[in-house]
Amino acid sequence: MEEYHSGDEMSFSPDEASNVVKECIEGIIGGVDYSQNKVNQWTASIVEHTLTQLVKQGKPFKYIVNCAVMQKSGAGLHTANSCYWDTTTDGSCTVRWENRTMYCVVSVFAVAIAL
Amino acid sequence: MDEDQSTEETTFVVDEITTVIKEAVESTIGNHSYQHNKINQWMSNIVESSLSQLTKLGKPFKYIVTCIILQKNGAGLHTASSCFWDNTTDGSCTVRWENKTIYCIVSVFGLAI
Repeated sequence: MEEYHSGDEMSFSPDEASNVVKECIEGIIGGVDYSQNKVNQWTASIVEHTLTQLVKQGKPFKYIVNCAVMQKSGAGLHTANSCYWDTTTDGSCTVRWENRTMYCVVSVFAVAIAL
Repeated sequence: MDEDQSTEETTFVVDEITTVIKEAVESTIGNHSYQHNKINQWMSNIVESSLSQLTKLGKPFKYIVTCIILQKNGAGLHTASSCFWDNTTDGSCTVRWENKTIYCIVSVFGLAI
């Protein structure tokens, strides 16, 4: 008797995560200008909301959500990341968003839990 | 018969990791000024050498290393991260480094296998 397990539940879907992230960003800083005294609140809200939405999906993953918000002022900003994990089950996605006065870069890393 | 297993090998040790990262950053961009055409190479070096030093530690962890390099010109930069993991075994550390023209922020997340 052969048992065939579908791999859908077990691998990370970057597209789905990307949509979750975009909605969170839009909902929090969608129409506002960079404001120094609010930005800490914004970054905290973005990472918390994104994490909550991802965990609600109920998949067997540990998550790391990283958010960087930068004022548009001509400075150069570069980011890179490197991961040592199981490439068959783990994954990441990065969303770059901007408006007139700021850039926002959110990265989600998902690492499968060994069951 | 009681078995008391030491968990040193399987928890995330912040100090050790911080040292590894600082060395990787210093050796790559230690004395240099911000140069647009070299940034990509520097960033790849930093994350790759950090990751290979971390894997050499031989611990049962998956690692994620992120690096941000920002030119100093008065812009505001804010970062936050939020993690859903096992508090007893997993951890992170962030190293902030700067010189006259560059800010460099490297974060390492370690997740127990």
